[in-house]
Amino acid sequence: MTRRVLVVEDGTEYVEAFRRLAGDSEDVEFVRAPHGADARRLLSQSPVDALFLDVVFDRTPPEALVGNLEDLARRHAGDRARALEHLARNQGFYVLSELAPLIPPGIPVLIAHDFASQAPRLEALRETVPGLEGVAESTGITRVLERLLRG
Amino acid sequence: MTGPALLSVALSLLAPEGAPAAEACVPDSASLAAEAATLLNGAASGSEVSAEAIAAARRLLRAARRLDASPDLMLQAADLAFAAGDVEEGGDLLAAADDTAPGKLSPAELLLLGRRAEERRRWREAIRRYDALARRLAAEGETADWIAPRRRELELEDEAAAIAAPASGPSVEARLALADAKRALASGRAKEAREHLKTALQIDPSYVDALLALAGLEAHAGRAAPAIRACRDALAAEPERVETVTLLANLLWEEPDRAAKEESLVLLDRAVALRPDLRSLLRLSAARWAQYGDAARAQERLARYLSKATAREHAEARPLQEMLSNQARAAPTPAPREPAAPEEPASAAVERWRKARILASRGDDASLNAALGLLEEAERLDPSLARAAELEASIREHRSEWREAEAALGRAIRADPSRTTVYESLARLLDRDPARANEAMDAWTQAEQAGSTEALYALGDAADRAGDGARALSLLRRYRDEAPAGLHAAEAAAALERLERRRSALVFGGATALLLALALAGLLLRRAKTGATFAEWLARHPGNAPEARRIVGRLRHESLKHGGLLLADAADRLERGDDEAWRGIAKLLEARLYGEPGSRGLVGEADDSLEALRALARADGERLNLEHRDPAFSFLARGIRALQRARPSVRRLSQDGAVSPRVVARACRLLRSASRSFGLTSGAELERRLDASSSLPVRIDALRALLARVASEADAPAPALEPIGELAAAPELPPVRLAPGDWETLWRNLFANALAAGRLGVSAVRGRDPVTGEGRLKIALCDDLASSLTTEDVLARPADRGLGVVVEILRRSDGSIEVQRAPAPGFTKGVVIELPLVETPA
Repeated sequence: MTRRVLVVEDGTEYVEAFRRLAGDSEDVEFVRAPHGADARRLLSQSPVDALFLDVVFDRTPPEALVGNLEDLARRHAGDRARALEHLARNQGFYVLSELAPLIPPGIPVLIAHDFASQAPRLEALRETVPGLEGVAESTGITRVLERLLRG
Repeated sequence: MTGPALLSVALSLLAPEGAPAAEACVPDSASLAAEAATLLNGAASGSEVSAEAIAAARRLLRAARRLDASPDLMLQAADLAFAAGDVEEGGDLLAAADDTAPGKLSPAELLLLGRRAEERRRWREAIRRYDALARRLAAEGETADWIAPRRRELELEDEAAAIAAPASGPSVEARLALADAKRALASGRAKEAREHLKTALQIDPSYVDALLALAGLEAHAGRAAPAIRACRDALAAEPERVETVTLLANLLWEEPDRAAKEESLVLLDRAVALRPDLRSLLRLSAARWAQYGDAARAQERLARYLSKATAREHAEARPLQEMLSNQARAAPTPAPREPAAPEEPASAAVERWRKARILASRGDDASLNAALGLLEEAERLDPSLARAAELEASIREHRSEWREAEAALGRAIRADPSRTTVYESLARLLDRDPARANEAMDAWTQAEQAGSTEALYALGDAADRAGDGARALSLLRRYRDEAPAGLHAAEAAAALERLERRRSALVFGGATALLLALALAGLLLRRAKTGATFAEWLARHPGNAPEARRIVGRLRHESLKHGGLLLADAADRLERGDDEAWRGIAKLLEARLYGEPGSRGLVGEADDSLEALRALARADGERLNLEHRDPAFSFLARGIRALQRARPSVRRLSQDGAVSPRVVARACRLLRSASRSFGLTSGAELERRLDASSSLPVRIDALRALLARVASEADAPAPALEPIGELAAAPELPPVRLAPGDWETLWRNLFANALAAGRLGVSAVRGRDPVTGEGRLKIALCDDLASSLTTEDVLARPADRGLGVVVEILRRSDGSIEVQRAPAPGFTKGVVIELPLVETPA
């Protein structure tokens, strides 16, 4: 059975690398979502077997970013520009939060963030997404793919 | 096409859908219809229609289309065009019909249009046609798996073509034609190369690279006149290009007449003036003036050359010095003498040589035999006509008559020892036999002394293979400088890269430990004086931490996305790709790494980020030395340097399509090196440096001390400050991410607003951002003052309460502020600030 991997990123670097590494394998299909809304749509249409999220979405139009800008502006002492920057730089986490209720339990969920020195943060996030793992910068793309396809 | 079908086509064109013919057509069309019907009825004898009938029907259709440009008419006209074998017009009509009214074409027609667009390198159009095909197939419940991947490839081509097209200069088509020519040349397909070059020059007659390639091709084929013509055209298009000047000088030097030789010498002087750094040009100029007989000029140029020559170059120039000394002894008052081969252009010998050259270019056996006969006569008439022997050698080589070819070359050298091409030909001939390698080297040396740039590569390559790295480096560097677009430019570049790296390794490997230690100590001392580290600067100027964080964040993002994936991926693809894939990928790399016109690529972005950090430090009066003193930045700088070094190879791949394996290997190596450097650029390391300089623990005793100072400065009594909640249990909480200077300023302002209070309380509560999971610390300064201050007041009119600085600090530190009523028992209000916590490793 073909496994379906949803890749959420603002570019195409990850999905292209995954596809290239997977080659012509018919066992796996990579589906890319460029922003949160698209990811939600794809996830609600049909289930996935793994999920990969980029974190920084600074190529995404501001209107397509997921997250409550008003709340964030308040949190940034009223500075909307900084709130927007924060939103783009952490968009992967906001998308993850949006998708959390739709993510099937037990599937690998990888996010492009290094939690090596932030174990409590990862634990906190796992409360809503139990399968979540971080991807360190030094992790090769092959290892990332292996982790996505394991099981 | 059957006759009745053709008839229906002709009739239907005059009766558009749903309208009677008489109403739809103007009177002229009616007469056309009648004529077409008569014609086709007459022509339809059985099943097939004659070509004449189709041609006549097409004329009718053309006339009708002038009256009615409906898509149906276009499609019918296309059918007739294809029936007549006119694929070109058929395709044009199909395309026009589809553009006018999409959805009318069959899948086969759409496929045809897609392939046609591809052949014409109209990538966007091909994508559009294939998209239409996919839609059409989908509507019919069918799919074609090949469309999606092909579409991606076409997008790549389109992107690459757009990227490759410079703002000015030759068109993409011209450059592709030149690339094709170079490939053909590299495979020895001279005729095909000439055709490609003609195509390039038809598109852009002043395309200098194509003109130079043509000149080289013609010169190699012994066709001096067209070679010189191409060179002159190139010079007219770009007068300052030293490569053109030297090539023309060399070509003219080979000409027999004195005027050409004089022009050659003048050109060589011009080349020296254009590139005074290429001292080998001076040596060549000296040698040529000596051959020409003007010892004074030769001496002057030789002296200039030797003034900066190395010991090896002195040794190499000794034969020339001796020759000049002999000349001086033989003729104390030197005067210019006649050129070495002063044949009259119209002499009988030259006339025979010219005829032989024309015959030889035909290539058939009879012509070659006739040419050899003429050349024999020419040599008999004028034994000094070296070109006759040289042409004979070329014919003998063509026939694999090696011994005769060598003999002819020997005669050519004896007749005129100054002809570069003869030595080159002899050396190549000798290169064929491994047993005669030494003789081949002698010939290459003679060729080099006669001014051959290809000899520089051959000798450099030989020295490299013999393990003489220093000599190989010297020769290959000269080749790189003197023949930047030479036949072996790519190989020379790759060899130079390898030799330079090996030399660096040898230098370090060969030094003793003591010398190394001393050198390193000196280096460290020198570097210590050249600037501050990133961490040192931030520690001295903590207020810059937020901006530095922003810049470093940008740098990390670029490094992660491009360093970790794009570069390694590109290197893989380059290694595995075919020629076309190489070109496309290389063009994309060009764009992403170095930037499209008017934009910045990765190298530019990274450079900009590093420069922005330096500029920030300069504003503080600091000089940053990021590459040498900060390991994390060193990786980045190394990666950027690898990318910069990769550029010539990537550019060569992307522009010329010259897919020499060495060029590919070099590009891959450098991309991987950059990838590794960027991958090792530890984002965590940068974060740690930022945190180390901008985090501090929340301690109640420190806050009390600060409050006392603020009160003292305001000449007011200091209220009591009590820890509340978690802070009461643990007097020190994990550090928040805020510069120390900002931390003090923030609390000074908060305390200054609360000095009138009877008691103050500080609470600190750890929490997490529900979305990002990031640790946050909420710190509240509580007081018992009666105040109507609200959060909106603080944000809207912060200056009113002296809280403007607090708000600004929080804004740039990813922090927030709010005012709470009765935050804790015994307190009326609390100013609550929230800041990111510095995470501690588990």
